[in-house]
Amino acid sequence: MSDLFGISVSALRALQTAISVTSNNIANANTPGYAKESVDLTTATPQTNGVASVGAGVQVSGILRAYSQAATNQLNNSQSSLGQLSGLQVYTNQIDNIIGTSAGGLSTSLQNYYNAWANVANAPTSTATRQALLSAAQGVASSFQSSSSQLQTLNTTINSGITADVQQINSIATSISTLNQQIVVGTAQAGGQPPNDLIDQRDQLLSNLSKLIGVTTSTGSNGALNVFVANGQPLVLQGNVTQLTTVPGPYNASQLEISTATMGKNIISGSITSGDLGGLLAARTQAVNPALNQLGQVASALAQSANTQQGAGLDLTGRLGAPLFSIGAPVATAASTNTDATTATASVADVGKLTANDYVLSYTGGAYQLSNAATGAAVAFTGAGTAASPLSADGLSIVLSGTPANGDKFLIQPTAQAAGTFAVAITSPSQVAAAGAIKTAVSAANTGAATISGGTVIDATNPNLLAGATIQFTSPTTYTVNGGASNTYTPGGNIAANGWQVQITGTPAAGDSFTVQANTGGGGDNRNALASAALQNQGVLAGGTISVNGAVSALITGIGGQAQQVNSAQTAQSSVNAQALQTVQSISGVNMNEEAANLLQWQQAFQASAQAMSIGNQMFTNLMSALSNGIL
Amino acid sequence: MRITQNLMQTQFLASLGSLESNLAQTQSQISTGLAFTSPAQNPAAAGNVNTYDQLLSQSQQYTTNANSAQTNLNTENNALTQVQSQLQTLRSLALEANSGTMSQQNLAAIATQAAQIQQSLIGAANTQNGNGEYIFAGYASQVQPFSQSASGAAYAGDQGQLQVQIAAGQTVATGDNGNTVFNQIKTGNGTFTVAAAAGNTGSGLIGATTVANPAAYTGGSYAIQFTAANAYQVLDSTSAVVSSGTYASGQAISFAGLQVTLSGQPATGDSFAVAPSTNQSLFTTVQNLVNSLTTAAAGPLNSTALSNAIGGTLNNLDQALSNVSTVQASVGGRLNAITSALSIGTTQQTQLQQSISNLQSLDYPAAITSLTNDQTALSASMQAYTLTQGLTLFKYL
Repeated sequence: MSDLFGISVSALRALQTAISVTSNNIANANTPGYAKESVDLTTATPQTNGVASVGAGVQVSGILRAYSQAATNQLNNSQSSLGQLSGLQVYTNQIDNIIGTSAGGLSTSLQNYYNAWANVANAPTSTATRQALLSAAQGVASSFQSSSSQLQTLNTTINSGITADVQQINSIATSISTLNQQIVVGTAQAGGQPPNDLIDQRDQLLSNLSKLIGVTTSTGSNGALNVFVANGQPLVLQGNVTQLTTVPGPYNASQLEISTATMGKNIISGSITSGDLGGLLAARTQAVNPALNQLGQVASALAQSANTQQGAGLDLTGRLGAPLFSIGAPVATAASTNTDATTATASVADVGKLTANDYVLSYTGGAYQLSNAATGAAVAFTGAGTAASPLSADGLSIVLSGTPANGDKFLIQPTAQAAGTFAVAITSPSQVAAAGAIKTAVSAANTGAATISGGTVIDATNPNLLAGATIQFTSPTTYTVNGGASNTYTPGGNIAANGWQVQITGTPAAGDSFTVQANTGGGGDNRNALASAALQNQGVLAGGTISVNGAVSALITGIGGQAQQVNSAQTAQSSVNAQALQTVQSISGVNMNEEAANLLQWQQAFQASAQAMSIGNQMFTNLMSALSNGIL
Repeated sequence: MRITQNLMQTQFLASLGSLESNLAQTQSQISTGLAFTSPAQNPAAAGNVNTYDQLLSQSQQYTTNANSAQTNLNTENNALTQVQSQLQTLRSLALEANSGTMSQQNLAAIATQAAQIQQSLIGAANTQNGNGEYIFAGYASQVQPFSQSASGAAYAGDQGQLQVQIAAGQTVATGDNGNTVFNQIKTGNGTFTVAAAAGNTGSGLIGATTVANPAAYTGGSYAIQFTAANAYQVLDSTSAVVSSGTYASGQAISFAGLQVTLSGQPATGDSFAVAPSTNQSLFTTVQNLVNSLTTAAAGPLNSTALSNAIGGTLNNLDQALSNVSTVQASVGGRLNAITSALSIGTTQQTQLQQSISNLQSLDYPAAITSLTNDQTALSASMQAYTLTQGLTLFKYL
């Protein structure tokens, strides 16, 4: 009889647990990280009465989590990738908007600027057109500065994002380590049964962590979870946390890098390639800084070409034109880890060869090495780094103040600051050099029929440019310049001296002379304005093949292309992530209909067991009444 | 596949989000009329639109340049027409004065009239454009280029010529400097001049002068001297006799590839100087005419000397007229080039606008279809969700 009660009681107990588990499932159906639980029912150890083995009821041998480590790992990895792309996407789209709108503005202001030169050429003596040119130039400067400052602002928000991510990562890591301790203790206390709810919480924390930074994990035999980030850098080991820290960049203190509390100045940013943190770092190195560099490259090209042309002309006061635009020189920063005070100075030697790259100049083994800062690829250079023999590479000229120590590094940023420092350098309309620097004249007494071109400046720095000269024909086929050596006359050939160049065509007679002189009083001349307006179609960049306008179009396409590529990668990764989430959910999620059916099943079984007990009770009562009635 | 309510909701929300974002984008396209609102939506097209925008703006600037050049060239054309007409008047006056029937009083009147024409010619040469720039001053267009002097007019300008760009790779000169138009004019017949010596006593008149054999003329100076009333000899600059002959009125004297026709009766000892042409300012030519007429009017009248002087002036005036006509023809050519560049520019601008529109204008039917599709999908998705959400076993417990 007692075994009948025992069986029923065991069933009622087990079913009560089952109903609790189901209720718990229903209660936690919407709890993030909750894995559906089920009771593991087994038969109790049977009793043998010598004849047969009679079952002793049911028992709960454990509560199981519906869980797949593989599916969860896959989801975490996918979340890390998605986190990286989503973090990056925010910035590529913002850059797209900045360049697409304000560089659309840049494009318009550049066009206004070149058109303003053409208008100066149409009315060279008009102060109004010259003032309009200065305003248009100011418009270009404002566009560059505004685009640059908006991009710089992005770097500031990236820094805040990095700081916030690192704080969150550290806080999650601490929680995971605390849970680790509780789980180890809990498992021991429950006789090896895992504390499912704590494990759920830990998995959810890990899932949240994987959105911030890519993780790899291993589970110890005691149930503790070890978490590794970057290239196997431990974040959580059992109950210990190695916190991440932010440190100022070695070259630019305003750009935060990631290190760990135990690694000193060793920076691990380079190996953090996934999660939101990876996305922020990528946004800085792959989107914001390259955009600043490219914008700066356009600014350098414009400033250099405009200033060179301006210097080859005369302003209204009869002086060679002062530079129209001012622009910051390339930045050369010594790493904060350098052991001595050697400084590097970089300047642009040839804007046509300038790239949008940054470079790292390092000194190891008594020799300089120059490499691309982004790819690490070696860059060929010439020179010794002294003032007499500067290091020359990619249009740059680098001079070091002394001999650096082994291990010293310098970051060379040729164009990073160019757009932000782009400004108009002249203020007065009369300083606009619209006139050509020299003029030519045919002597009135010439009897031949030769004519002379207006003359062009090929070297504005020649001190004798404005000194004047006479080209005297000693015979119809020979001439001298300022009475110098005799030259053979080629019709239409270049005659160059003192930094200018002219062409004489036709048939001169002996004794004919032509003069080249400073274009004094030539305020109505527009040749230099015409040449300045024509610069818009002239190749400046990439060895003189890409014009300033062309570079802006390429910048817009490049930035838009990057945003588009990140957007589609993000969309694709979202699908992958949804799939991974679906897999995890289909394993661990709570299905209400399933729980309702289980509930019914447990309820019916509970009722049946109760009935069995009631029958047992009745049998016992019957037996007792038979006894008392003396039947037995 | 096991489906959970949570998953269903997540998926529903995800598809809701994507449909709503599609709707928002289509709506923004329809309200702006643009096929893409940021370069990321179509990077290649965005870059091309930027390039086309630049080309369009450039082309519009070329039109502005061409219009400005047109204005300047029209101003120049008017000034040149005025110069031509003044020169024609002067030519008629010179012919009138040379008719041989003029009294000294009349000659004085003609001299006064010629002096006035001189002033008005200088006025035309000092023409300014709308910006106050002197159009015949070369680069020195802020300074008045011509000012009257004893020998005609002094030139303060230079030999510069302004250009503007009217199309890609095409520039056009917007003017001509005063040196080219008024100063660099060959005297005589363009190759050589013949002048009667001041002391001539005969009535020898200089007639037609031609270069019979350009190859034989080396640019030297000669003197035709009459050794007798009917005999002449031609001396070169070293006084060597290069030719001699018997003079007959109206018969050409040939030497060194040149032909000079003299008429009338020169006296013994009269001489005529033959010299290569030099450049002479138009204003000097006019001043010479005024001076000759004034001298003649003041008397005593030497009709042969006056006639020879006027004859020389007429030659020079013809050279000036021819030079001004050549410049004016070139101005006309430039105006034609501008007209054609303007017309090409207009076509090009239309094409560029078309290209820009093709790239960035919204295909409305497609956009509206897409909007309707997204709308249908969104409402269907909402309905499906509410339907399936109602299906739960708990309803029946």
